[in-house]
Amino acid sequence: MTTRVPQLAAVASLAALALAGCVSDVPAPVTSAPPLEASGALLDEQSARIIDQTMAELAAADSAEDTEALTDRVGGDVVTLRGVEYTLAAEEDGPAPTVLPAEMQAVYVSAAEEWPRTMATVSEQPSEDETPVVMLWVQEDVDTDYQLRHWAHMIPGATLPAMPGATTGAAQLALDADAVSPAPQEAIEAYAELLRAGPDSDLDATFAPDTYRERLFAARDTLTEAANEADGEYVETIQPDLEASYAMATADGGALVFAPLTISSTFTVEDATVSIDEADEPLLEGELDDTVKHRYLDYLVIYVPGSGETDALPAVVAAEHTLIKVSD
Amino acid sequence: MSLRTTALIAGVIGVLLLAVGLIANAQRPPRDVTPSAAVDTGIVVVEPEMIAFAGEDRIGFSGEGDLVALTARPADAHAWLVGREATELTGQPDWESLSTADVAIEEPQPTASPSASASPSEAASPSPSPSASAGEEAEDAEPVDVLAQTSQDHWRDERRGQDRLSIVAADVPAGETLVVVSRDGSPLTSVDMSVTRDVQDGWITPLIWWGVFLTLAGIIALVLRFIDVRPAQAKGEEWIAKRQKVGEEDDPSPGTRRARRAAGEHLPETSLDEEAVTSASAGSAPSAPSSPPASSNTDPASAPSVDRDGQERP
Repeated sequence: MTTRVPQLAAVASLAALALAGCVSDVPAPVTSAPPLEASGALLDEQSARIIDQTMAELAAADSAEDTEALTDRVGGDVVTLRGVEYTLAAEEDGPAPTVLPAEMQAVYVSAAEEWPRTMATVSEQPSEDETPVVMLWVQEDVDTDYQLRHWAHMIPGATLPAMPGATTGAAQLALDADAVSPAPQEAIEAYAELLRAGPDSDLDATFAPDTYRERLFAARDTLTEAANEADGEYVETIQPDLEASYAMATADGGALVFAPLTISSTFTVEDATVSIDEADEPLLEGELDDTVKHRYLDYLVIYVPGSGETDALPAVVAAEHTLIKVSD
Repeated sequence: MSLRTTALIAGVIGVLLLAVGLIANAQRPPRDVTPSAAVDTGIVVVEPEMIAFAGEDRIGFSGEGDLVALTARPADAHAWLVGREATELTGQPDWESLSTADVAIEEPQPTASPSASASPSEAASPSPSPSASAGEEAEDAEPVDVLAQTSQDHWRDERRGQDRLSIVAADVPAGETLVVVSRDGSPLTSVDMSVTRDVQDGWITPLIWWGVFLTLAGIIALVLRFIDVRPAQAKGEEWIAKRQKVGEEDDPSPGTRRARRAAGEHLPETSLDEEAVTSASAGSAPSAPSSPPASSNTDPASAPSVDRDGQERP
């Protein structure tokens, strides 16, 4: 019996030894991550979900004509603008809020891995009388939702540049990025300076013509002339909001710059009482005398061409000019 | 070495082969294995490298309640994980276990405020209060939805399971990070991987059959060693001898082919030309015929008849 134990052990060892060679080794670990199939911050399904939720929230607020319903998906200046529109809509024969179509003909997503991030869309044409609407969503950090922050109707005749698709996403440019010339911040400040200086400024030649500034200058001339006739004056101040401005790289190496502007105007006459348009009276705060102040919240989308486009000038491709307040 | 000795040696080898084969068969390593690891956090992260490593294998997550698997770009997943306790599935060191590590992505520490004061205040003074302690509050608190607390915009894909969630790694798009979350924040219990490995065990079955064959040969040799087969062998030899004697003693039946053959009926009749015989005899040395001529010109009446066995017949 005692002699069989070593024999059995030898047989078992032989079997175990044979089996040890049967099993392949554990595969070597993968040390480098495979590249992302879609490196953009949002896939089509994600952006569609964001747009749908935004429009649902907007529709709920529109039906209630109450900005309290604008919580998660709508924020920033849109809440202010919608509040103004609800105020005007509440009046008899008041204008309906701006139609923001839910159907988009283009969605531009960011490729950024940092925050804040942006998503821009170009809607279908709301009606025959209106141009498509460019909308901008902003996500401040990973824990907050993308929020609709601004919109602007396209300038008639303008075309948006080609943008990188959702697979790669568009690079999120810093306002002082030197990848484009002029840098986004320079473009914003130069255009604001052009608006301040008027059509006779040298800066007028550095931007492509657009109907936004033409109408602004025309209104300014009219108001200045009216103030002069009443021995008063018309003063306009224009202030870009760089904190709320963003830039996304275009496919041609340029940039699409989104910039809000605040335009404040003061119309003063001597020995008279000013009056305002009846449609603007719901926005009036205070009692008018010889002075009326208007406050506008404007939004510009400026295309800065890439370095390859030597002949092209920066151009405003979308703009919105909205009166938000009238005061004495 | 006799055939029997050779067969006995083959039998011993056969037993050894059979034993090795049977033990190997009993201990045959399974092709499908499930290495696993215990986890104790409500979030498990699988990075793109590990997903690529798993390939077509399934990664399973066990816990209690509603489990949600989400995918995101690595940068987004990492940003979401900041400040959250999570376990990362890091690898498979062997066929039985998986390796894990705590995910340590800390929030940026706020700088200390210089306005902090150590002076006691009324608010800090101890006072009897009916409010529950922090621990009691935690116990009585409603279950929270971990995902609903934050934005879900960065999640690209979502799958749900109750108590168990199994995902084919290849279904996760390349380069994306997989994050599995217990919706109510309760810890997951384990993570495992269903792996099909390459086991080279094709030699076991032939080994068993060879062992059986050689063992049988040895057993036969062994049996024959203890059984005296000589009587049976003698009987067989006798039978063979008997069969060989058949026809030697019996006269063929008249009229049968054997009888006719014995009578030389089938032999051809030939006539020899005397002259030819003479010339032939002149050209060669005389010699005695090696056998008696069996021709028809030999007078059967004057010559003794010889049958095919060489026996004289009257």
